[in-house]
Parts: sequence; structure tokens; C-alpha cells
Amino acid sequence: MDSLVFNLRSASTTVQALAVTVGGLVGVFATLAAFFLIIWMSVKFGNRKA
Amino acid sequence: MYGVGATLIWLAVKKEYEPMLLLPIGFGAILVNLPLSVVWEHEGTAGFLKVLYDGGIANELFPILIFIAVGAMIDFGPLFKNPFMIFFGAAAQFGIFATMIIATVLGFDLKQAACIGIIGAADGPTAIYVANKFAKDLLGPISVAAYSYMALVPLIQPPVIRLLTTKKERRIHMVYHESGVPKWLRISFPIVVTMISGIVAPISVPLVGSLMFGNLIRESGVLERLSQTAQNELAYLVTLLLGITIGASMRADKFLNVQTLMILGMGLVAFVFDTAGGVLFAKMINLFLPKDGKINPMIGACGISAFPMSGRVIQKMAAEEERGNIILMHAIGSNVSGQLGSIIAGGMVLALVPLLVG
Repeated sequence: MDSLVFNLRSASTTVQALAVTVGGLVGVFATLAAFFLIIWMSVKFGNRKA
Repeated sequence: MYGVGATLIWLAVKKEYEPMLLLPIGFGAILVNLPLSVVWEHEGTAGFLKVLYDGGIANELFPILIFIAVGAMIDFGPLFKNPFMIFFGAAAQFGIFATMIIATVLGFDLKQAACIGIIGAADGPTAIYVANKFAKDLLGPISVAAYSYMALVPLIQPPVIRLLTTKKERRIHMVYHESGVPKWLRISFPIVVTMISGIVAPISVPLVGSLMFGNLIRESGVLERLSQTAQNELAYLVTLLLGITIGASMRADKFLNVQTLMILGMGLVAFVFDTAGGVLFAKMINLFLPKDGKINPMIGACGISAFPMSGRVIQKMAAEEERGNIILMHAIGSNVSGQLGSIIAGGMVLALVPLLVG
């Protein structure tokens, strides 16, 4: 991971932007997927309780 | 700059495009460009707009206060009833990153490109927050672009959606199940979201935390007056100060250049790519869904953060395609997800860019 970041530091600006794009989109999807799981489980658990 | 200021005021008054922001921005732009610029700085003494800028924009206080107000306005209920909509809030952030790449190709450095891309968050406070961190000089054009295009969502989104969908797809009906949302979920959601965001992207905590603080005030049920204050007095007061202060950042020597035109153009591109990203993601999901359970792909476009305007635009389009087709609650679910998605995307940009360029 450190070597990847090190290599990207010396890459062109557009390649760096591509890397931020990949990391950013993965991060956004992963974070919202975690929220999805929380809501989904909470609703399921809450409905069973009711 | 007087013409630019007058145009913004005209758009606010005549066209009613985000009048609460464009009018103060327009007047601020006129004020700061008057001879001697006394409102900014004169004979070594800070004018009132510089005082406001240092106390509200430079230290990011105004965007944070706006987020508290926005959080108090958001009802996550439609999302809790159809949690899958949250993924559209992620897909419709595509424009941020696509535009960032385009900006680097056009010669902007990575930090500037990230700020330009974040116009596609369709979220003024996030755009201001990121621009203030990475490229203070671009704050004026980025803010103007972000708020102008948010106001133009009813004009930007429909042609893009029509281009990417068939009439049959736009007529898809979606069933909405009315069900109660447990109060404990409404209260614990903002707390859990803040904690997860803090672990994934700690730098996003001021954005997410203030938004969720506002939402917690709303959902707690015991702070009704604070909730109303956040939604009304706080929102109006900070918006007024934010607008005129942003206007004050539009000094002619920094605003009237080719770079500003490029930023305004790329802001539009960001909104178009956001819309396309959401719609195409919905179409891709439909490939895996049964025939009677398809998603109306227009819902994907609501994943941008322009809340609640985008949701309303999509409902209007659905009703125009087929009378009686009601997809509003799904659209709003997707739209509030966009609010979450945009600040997470902002946090990702804030976390990743400094890793590569320091």
C-alpha cells in the first residue's frame, strides 16, 4: 500500500486523479453499503420485535 | 463585476433561482468591487465582509452551521422504508470524480481539480468546505457554480435522463410499502453514521457530524424548539451571511478570467455526469431484477444531493410520462441518500488528495 502511494506521488496529475476516483468511489460505496446493512438489519430486527 | 453581480441578482429575483443565496452573492460581488473596497480592507483595517470571511468561511464555521440546519430538515424515513435507495446516493457521485479527471486534463492541479469536481456534490456547503481547504482562490467561482447549477436541476436533469432512458423505462411503476420506522432507529442512525464516517474518513467528521447533529436534534423528539430554530432562524441567518461573504470573495482580479469560465463549464459537466451515473447504475441493477420488480431508472438521478428539488423533478417527469405514476417517496429516499453520499465523497476527496500531493 505504501509503495503504491509512493509511486502515485510521482505519477502524472491525471493518473493521480484516476487513483482518487477509484479510491473515492470504492470508499463512498463501501460506506453507504455499511449504512445500508445497518438500516436493513435494524428494520428487520425492529419489525420482528414488533 | 457589477454586471456579474447584477446578473446573479436578476436570476434570483426574476427567475427565482436559489434567491436566498444568489441575491446576497450578487450584492456581495458588487460591494467588494466598489472603489477602495472598503467593505473588504481599507488602510490596513478589515472591513465587515473580511471580518465575516475570516470568522465564517476561512475557519469553515458557516458551512458547518448550514449542515446543522440541513440535518434538522432531513427526514430519513423514506430511506429507512426502502434502504436500497442508498446506493443511488453513491452512484450519483460519479460526476465529482469524472469532472476531477477532466479538470486535470485541462491543466488544473490535483487540489484545484478536486475542488472543481466537488461542484458535482450538488451540495453548496460541501463545495465551500473543500474549496476552502484546497483552493481558496477558487472559492468564488466554485460557490457560484454549485449554487447556480443546483437551482438549474429542473433544466439540467430531464434532458440527460431522456437521453439515457426509454419511454417504457420512465413509465415503470414502483410499489411503496407504508410501514412505521422504529423511533430508536431514527435516533441511533445519526449517531452510528457519524461513528462509521469517523472511522472510514476521519477528516469528514465536521461535515457528517454537524449534519447528523442537526438530524439527531430533529429525531430526538424532545428538542422541538431547537429543531425549529435550526431549520428556520439558524438556516436563514447563516445563509444570508454565507451568501454575502461568498460574494465578497469575487474580486474582479480573481474572478474575471478564463479559469472561471472553465470552472463554470466543468460544474455543468459534473451535474450531467452525476445524473448519468445514477441513471446508468439503476439500469444496470435492473438487469438483475425480476420483470415485475424493476426500478424506474429516473430514481437513480435523484442520488445527487440537490434535496428535495431533484426528487420533485423526477416525480414530475414520472407523472408527465404516465398520469398517476407516483414514485415520489422512492425519489426522496434516493435524494436524501445523495445528501449522505455527497458528504462522504467530500470526505474521501479530503482524505485521499493530501496523500498524493501533501
